[in-house]
Amino acid sequence: MLAFVARSFVQKLITLFFVSVISFAVIHLAPGEPSQVDPLNPKFTKEVVERFRQQFHLDKPLHQQYLLFYRDLLSGKSVSWKDGRPVLGKIFERFMNSLPLFLVGTLITWTLSFPVGIQAAIRRGGVYDRTTTFMAYLLISIPGFFFAYVLIIFVVNTFHVPVIGMRTFGLSGAGFAVRAMDRVWHLVIPSILGATAGIAVLSRYVRNQMLEVEGQDYVRTARAKGLPEDQVHYKHALRNALLPFVTMFGLILPGLIGGSVIIESIFSWPGIGRMAYEAILARDYPLIITVNFISAILVLIGTFLSDLLYMVVDPRIKL
Amino acid sequence: MTVRRVLIGLPVIVLIFLLQSYFWVPTYEEQTRGNPKRLQEYVTASIGDAQLLNPILSSDSASSDINGLVFEGLLDYDENLNFRGRLSTHWEIFEEAYFYVNDLATVPVLGAADGEQVARMIKEAKRKFDQTTEPLSKTLANIETIEVLPAQQRKERLEEKTADGKTVNVVVHIEEPPRIKLTLRAVDQELFINLKAILGPTYFSSFHGDRFIRVEPGDFKYKKPKYAEAYLPEVEHNPIIVFHLRPGVKFHDGHQVDAEDVKFTFEAIMNPANVSPRLADYEPVKTVDVQDPFTVQIVYKRLYSPALGTWAMGILPEHLLNRKALGDEARRQGLDPDTMSIRQSSFNRHPVGCGPFRFREWKSDQYVLLDRSDDYWEGPPNYLKYAYRIVPDMLTQEMEFYAGTVDSYGVQPHQVHRLKDDPRYQSFSGLSFGYTYIGYNLRRPPFDDVRVRRALGMAIDVDGIIRYVLYGQGEEITGPFPKQTDFYNHEVKPLPYDPEAAVRLLAEAGWKRNKKGWLEKDGKRLEFTLITNQGNNIRKAILSIVQDSWRKIGVDVRTDLLEWAVFIQERVNKLDFDALILGWSMGIEPDLYQIWHSSQSGPYRLNFVGFNNSEADELIIKIRQEYNREQQIADCHRLHEIIAEAQPYTFLFVRKWTALLDKRIVIMERDPEGKARYRKITPTKTGSYTFFFNKWIKLPDEPVFEAEG
Repeated sequence: MLAFVARSFVQKLITLFFVSVISFAVIHLAPGEPSQVDPLNPKFTKEVVERFRQQFHLDKPLHQQYLLFYRDLLSGKSVSWKDGRPVLGKIFERFMNSLPLFLVGTLITWTLSFPVGIQAAIRRGGVYDRTTTFMAYLLISIPGFFFAYVLIIFVVNTFHVPVIGMRTFGLSGAGFAVRAMDRVWHLVIPSILGATAGIAVLSRYVRNQMLEVEGQDYVRTARAKGLPEDQVHYKHALRNALLPFVTMFGLILPGLIGGSVIIESIFSWPGIGRMAYEAILARDYPLIITVNFISAILVLIGTFLSDLLYMVVDPRIKL
Repeated sequence: MTVRRVLIGLPVIVLIFLLQSYFWVPTYEEQTRGNPKRLQEYVTASIGDAQLLNPILSSDSASSDINGLVFEGLLDYDENLNFRGRLSTHWEIFEEAYFYVNDLATVPVLGAADGEQVARMIKEAKRKFDQTTEPLSKTLANIETIEVLPAQQRKERLEEKTADGKTVNVVVHIEEPPRIKLTLRAVDQELFINLKAILGPTYFSSFHGDRFIRVEPGDFKYKKPKYAEAYLPEVEHNPIIVFHLRPGVKFHDGHQVDAEDVKFTFEAIMNPANVSPRLADYEPVKTVDVQDPFTVQIVYKRLYSPALGTWAMGILPEHLLNRKALGDEARRQGLDPDTMSIRQSSFNRHPVGCGPFRFREWKSDQYVLLDRSDDYWEGPPNYLKYAYRIVPDMLTQEMEFYAGTVDSYGVQPHQVHRLKDDPRYQSFSGLSFGYTYIGYNLRRPPFDDVRVRRALGMAIDVDGIIRYVLYGQGEEITGPFPKQTDFYNHEVKPLPYDPEAAVRLLAEAGWKRNKKGWLEKDGKRLEFTLITNQGNNIRKAILSIVQDSWRKIGVDVRTDLLEWAVFIQERVNKLDFDALILGWSMGIEPDLYQIWHSSQSGPYRLNFVGFNNSEADELIIKIRQEYNREQQIADCHRLHEIIAEAQPYTFLFVRKWTALLDKRIVIMERDPEGKARYRKITPTKTGSYTFFFNKWIKLPDEPVFEAEG
């Protein structure tokens, strides 16, 4: 066990190093310059552009840039080129904004997928199963932005309430309960939207997993010894079907920092995905690389956690 | 079965909890009714967030929107685009001109002349100026004082690089000959040209500064002519602007605005550590002198007529950003006080200016909130609050506008027809400060022939493009100046849309149709590639339309869409293109140097089409140096003609914008008794509807105005 932890730690460090090199290289391979350096602005003389490049160390050879860069990042001194604020502070602020969206979205996904998937498996081939299958494929196929627009227009025109942003604008005078509920309301539509694709995919998984387990001998045995159907499904089958999902928890972790570019942009949600997207457009290298780096770390931690979890829930696996 | 109950109960509870929140949220009507304060707040939306709230550092439009409200410049443009005083009440512009006494030159009558004699000659001529001819008499009448400055010695130290890359300190010893200083009432770029009539045609050009220079170490002797040019120019124009500041204006923290702040703002821009994108505007400044707390004199190194306009830039508070303040802040943040620059200061997120609104709060990518400044010198604005929301999506902006949580909406071209006359809103429209064009690489055949360029232009139905691509929201233009300014020459007629005449013109240039219908000359087909950048749907549409029109007259044109960075770096900057579709956004000042002067046609320069016309070059320089507006306008009109004649671009169109505003927003003014009077918001001549923004207010109900006229 300890050996496994140590080995995996070393492996992950090596992976991380390569990730850092590749993400640094990819950004520099992409054409374009930081948006501060605008070659088509008549006010930008050559000297100004040169000065910007010096300021951002862009005039140095790549390996030096790499070292300077990760030195700043690891010592926490990295600042965004766009506004000169510390990168980590910016990411944390946005992370706190994306977090509720992520939590509610995940909550909806996971609580809804299971009953839907299980029911579909139990009533395999029936109307309910076909309907959910159809709905699942529909939800997977609809482009997110389109669905979002339809939903926004529908809600605004029918209910006449604001849905954009993290809270209703100009409601600062209201009481605490109203403000809290207002925030919840603003979470509802974007997180439902964010969850739709998740529900569609996950409920399919649950259904297939259940079906696979239902065909196993021990389920047949349980049925044969006369247990009530509910107990067969929910105790014997479900427990075993759950195994792969436990490990999926570990893989949710990177989603924490990914955010959703489209939903955050449409709903003017000041989240981390939108920030990263805008940073890419503006070629704000420190921000892009830091987000990249953090998500790489989260992916590695996530896979590590799911390895451990698997070991905990499935005694057959020994590491 | 508990598991089953939990599995079904949990999502139901979650969903009920989430959905019940709907009942707590006020609908839009409730918001305004239950919250009368909303009427005193103006809410507007923008696609992008501000970058830095510091006028000397920011270059994006969102930042300048906010900076324009928080900060105030020395002057700005009034409704007719003339200058009006803001922090300055008035200003004077005059000139000090210098030239060295040229002891080797032969002057009329006297032969060789020393300084005193030259001065006397000019004085003499001035006394009887009305007897001379027009340009000289004007120049002489303009001279106020004549002074002879004695000879003097000075040293200049600088660093030079040797051939093997070492840095050497070079000392230039200068034996400055006597110099004559003329003070002029108004800037006169013709001064020295006209003085030749008195001093002889070669008096200035035969002055060689390198005679008076000794270089140490001697290795750099060969650079003498360069040093002479820099340190001993035969003639020098020093335009001077003296600003008289408005006394009693205060920054939002109560600190008095004075001339030191102006000087400080200038120095902050020039400070290399701050990396200001506005550097180029202020590079021609020689000195900024504080004469008394409310008078500041700015001396320029050379004639530079856009100078006055640059002082519309917001003035920074010196007491919050000087060395000491920055040092204190650096210590608080744990940074190095010596390298701390304004760029790193938290001021950029909590700006303090002296404009009509004071800064309150900025939440990145959400909103910027401003409060009105109650002691704004021109009287406080009517609105108590200003909110600048960041809504990155146009459709959501529109929804927010319909619902009343945003007070204005910039209508997209395809919606104009539907929304312009909507009785629920008031609408404004005007021309933007930018145009779209097709640029030809004049270095490459067949574009080196003006007939080909004209013919290609004539084959394009610009009217059709405006009608179908822009939904009618554009106007044709013929030249490089903003159409709503006086610099634009309305006499220049656009190329007619006439494909047949285009074919005839091409035939004249030697391009004949071959059997297959393609144009050919000397066995070579007329073929090239038209490119533009990806991500701009209008340009993409134009690309196809133009390709189609040109193919119809037999031009084999291919098209290519390139990602922006590749487009600029690989094609435009390296001058590797045949023809391209692009746009310029223009300032109000008519300075075309970077885009049209032939010296700017190298790689990485903005005259990438390679336009080269000596008369245009002269005019561009002249316009840059001309301080007299009438003359400037006349020169611009001529320049416009030349460019339209040469057709280095096919000028396509300038877009029209339309904005919707809540109907309840009106202008409120108070008459002397303090009674409020309301009137409708009307756009200024140049189309700006926000010009009187400080007087706007929102009424609870839609106002009824008497019929106009």
